[in-house]
Amino acid sequence: MAKKYACYLCKGCGIGEALDFDNLQEVASESGMGEAKAHEALCSPEGLALIKADVDGGANALLIGACSARVKTDEFTFGKEVLVERASLREQTVYCTEAGEEAAADRQMLAADYLRISATKLQKMELPVPFQLEQPAEKAILVVGGGVAGLNAALAAAKAGAKVYLVEKEDALGGFLGKMAKLGPQSPPYQELQDTGLEDLVGQVQGNGNIEVFIGNTVAKTEGAPGNFTVSLSGGQSLRAGAVIQATGWTPYPPEKLADELAYGSSPNIITNVQMEERAKAGDLGGLNAVAFIQCAGSRDANHLPYCSAVCCLVSLKQAMYVKQANPEAAVYVIYKDIRTPGQSEEVYRQAQREGVIFIRRGEEYPKISDHGGKFTVETADVTLNDTVAIEELDLVVLATGMKPNNPKVVEPPLVALGMDQEEAKRLTAEAKAQSDDWSVLNLAYRQGKNLPTLKYAYPDSHFICFPYETRRTGIYAAGTVRRPMRVTQAIEDATGAALKAIQATTAAAAGFAVHPRSGDESFPEFFMQRCTQCKRCTEECPFGAINEDEKANPLPNPTRCRRCGVCMGACPERIISFKNYSVDMIGAMIKSIEVPEEDEEKPRVIVLACENDALPAIDMAAKAGAKWSPFIRFLPLRCLGSVNLVWIADALSSGIDGILLFGCKRGDDYQCHFIKGSELANVRMSKISETLDRLVLESDRVRVEEIGFGEVDKIPGIIAEFMETIESVGPNPYKGF
Amino acid sequence: MASKAYDKSFREEVYENVDSGEEIKLCMQCGVCGITCPLRDEMTYGPRQIWSLIRAGKREEVMNCSDIMLCTSCYACKVRCPRGVKVIDVMHGLARYALRQGIVPRKETSKFGKVFWDCIAKTGRIDETDVPMRYTMTAGPIHGIFNALEMMDIGRALLSHKRMKFKVAPGVPPAKKIKGIRGLKKMLKKAAAMSPGKES
Repeated sequence: MAKKYACYLCKGCGIGEALDFDNLQEVASESGMGEAKAHEALCSPEGLALIKADVDGGANALLIGACSARVKTDEFTFGKEVLVERASLREQTVYCTEAGEEAAADRQMLAADYLRISATKLQKMELPVPFQLEQPAEKAILVVGGGVAGLNAALAAAKAGAKVYLVEKEDALGGFLGKMAKLGPQSPPYQELQDTGLEDLVGQVQGNGNIEVFIGNTVAKTEGAPGNFTVSLSGGQSLRAGAVIQATGWTPYPPEKLADELAYGSSPNIITNVQMEERAKAGDLGGLNAVAFIQCAGSRDANHLPYCSAVCCLVSLKQAMYVKQANPEAAVYVIYKDIRTPGQSEEVYRQAQREGVIFIRRGEEYPKISDHGGKFTVETADVTLNDTVAIEELDLVVLATGMKPNNPKVVEPPLVALGMDQEEAKRLTAEAKAQSDDWSVLNLAYRQGKNLPTLKYAYPDSHFICFPYETRRTGIYAAGTVRRPMRVTQAIEDATGAALKAIQATTAAAAGFAVHPRSGDESFPEFFMQRCTQCKRCTEECPFGAINEDEKANPLPNPTRCRRCGVCMGACPERIISFKNYSVDMIGAMIKSIEVPEEDEEKPRVIVLACENDALPAIDMAAKAGAKWSPFIRFLPLRCLGSVNLVWIADALSSGIDGILLFGCKRGDDYQCHFIKGSELANVRMSKISETLDRLVLESDRVRVEEIGFGEVDKIPGIIAEFMETIESVGPNPYKGF
Repeated sequence: MASKAYDKSFREEVYENVDSGEEIKLCMQCGVCGITCPLRDEMTYGPRQIWSLIRAGKREEVMNCSDIMLCTSCYACKVRCPRGVKVIDVMHGLARYALRQGIVPRKETSKFGKVFWDCIAKTGRIDETDVPMRYTMTAGPIHGIFNALEMMDIGRALLSHKRMKFKVAPGVPPAKKIKGIRGLKKMLKKAAAMSPGKES
């Protein structure tokens, strides 16, 4: 594309009074942007008309020096064919520096540098060309699992017009719903047990022309990428699908593990809630005069399932009602740690109480169950009576056991294994592998393994709060109890959500843009293969397993799996991975375009490589809230801290920059990184940079990684001030002026 | 062995026989009633734990506990109960049930109630000096006089201000009857006939 540059400078919001525009116009012109046009308020209709006229006249690469790129995005967008780069003269220049004449010189240099940085960026970037699969993208959706979530996902997708393949390993559809006698109350006034409605649901699925059902089948292999998955079934069929929904449900926590604590297995009348449901389904609830339910049997227990399964309380309430309805005279006890009945479920709890179920709050200790000739005695702490009590003459004891996801657990070796001693890394990898499950649901033909990566407890999660349904494999979504423990109504909602996500994924694959979280981004990483050294860093470090490998360890990118974070770009030692509008060379050139004053001017320069998802908004908000910091700071927004290539550090230090701060998201177990591992990877990589700094005879204090949360606006000025002090004490970069 | 075994007979007895007895089924043991009660320091258990004891089948503990007769009907617990349990109604129901069984969980309350009720039933109003005087004398002639002597200063002041009449004799109507006393008596008779036990 032949670029025709144009530059616009806004004088609104106090920028006009704070900066010398003649100087800025000169800088823009020196940077190759031509004659910059200044306007009192660029976002006003007149200002926009000024830009629009030039765009109509052929200008297609616009540098706009005004407010932050995070605001007024609609105003400053001029169609897909026009590149726009925004220099933040407001938030990151005028708002965050001291006002007045005294600070004018430093403020002016800051603004000029932002113009140079943005001009360089504009010169280095190209219009992205959307990626197209060789074959037209497939829009069919594969749903794995024919339980309540799977059936509803299939229906939701089919109703939205998608072709659906539904695979179920059993010989009948229904999953656990088929094993249930009744559902708990699901609708107002939440007092009556309800039919499962399974027959109707299965009928709808079987009667829908868009849905093809494969019962008695499992997935033998899943190859390819969103828009082009090839799925082989155990029955021999081969299907082409655009996206996958895994709704494989749950398995009960193995009750055998409770043999010591709760005497499971010692009598046929000490059963789990699943067995109780089977008995209810078989109509075998006669002759029960006294029943006890023991809640949290192996749940919220560090030795068993550490988490709450969210449904066992409701299940026991329902089953207590079964007993009461079969024999209203029966004494029914629920021995609980906490009754957890969120939302309208509280009404179910009340109904069980009205029907005369007795609730006894126990402590952390399990009750003791003893058998007296077929009648049981349960001895438990009673917190509300502050005593130990016994419940005698029980006919049946039901253990409310929890849910495990029906998904193989994947444990990843810690990231510190990257680049460490080979033997140690191998040992850590082997250890992680030993803790992982060997079986698979989807049998992915992915270089990073056949299973969906899991976080805690084998749930195939990506980011629970921000991105529900998302797994860490693009185009593959989890719905229902495989995602987290939930009840039927929630699973139906989940299934609908996942179905819509899957449709988005196939649409994005067809149009060639990123589905999530950089929704709509048409750029994708391109590999300059002639210089690849087959080091495997990109294939190993991609948080989404987007890159496969051939036998010779050459990377085989799958752009429709890609989320455009640039982690591969940061990993590549040969710097052969670039996006059309984001590359190692581009950021390197932007850093080099900063003017570094001579040492004797005593004006240090510090760059901040900031994550544009969380850190950059926090910076903007801090500036807007009136926080001030050093005018020697230059912020460079990045897609993800994981895209930081070490060469940028070398570039910066060799061009005389005194210090480098990296602002990324929270890392660790409860990470906030949009790309899961980006922040963690940056941290690991920076910890290994001391070698480079030693080679350059520089202090490692000059480079620091900081975690900035979206809400940690007030931390920013302090972090910057402290780093500036460090830089002052370390002294100027000896490479200045070389 | 546990010191207490759960037994369903007492709770069923309460559901069946005590006024508003079934209300306690809905209690979720949050304890708001107990902490709200202005008499919490006087109570051994408080309403929440009384319900718990009923569910556990602790007949003796509940029926002999003065708590069930301490309620002053201030309604704070009933207003605050998140489950809408009519705490006061159950408390009074339990007290009445105990009396019907011939159990007097708290003698003072029982005697005061009798004096109070007699006054209303006979005159249709409460005489605020007459009722305490009669109540004082329920302790018997000797204790009554000792009790009265303790109150001598107050009594003297009340007399000098003509706030108290000095006469307590059985059969003497304490105060002037209301106009429609016959109608009231009819109403009380009808209400007593509707009550599960005889009024106390």
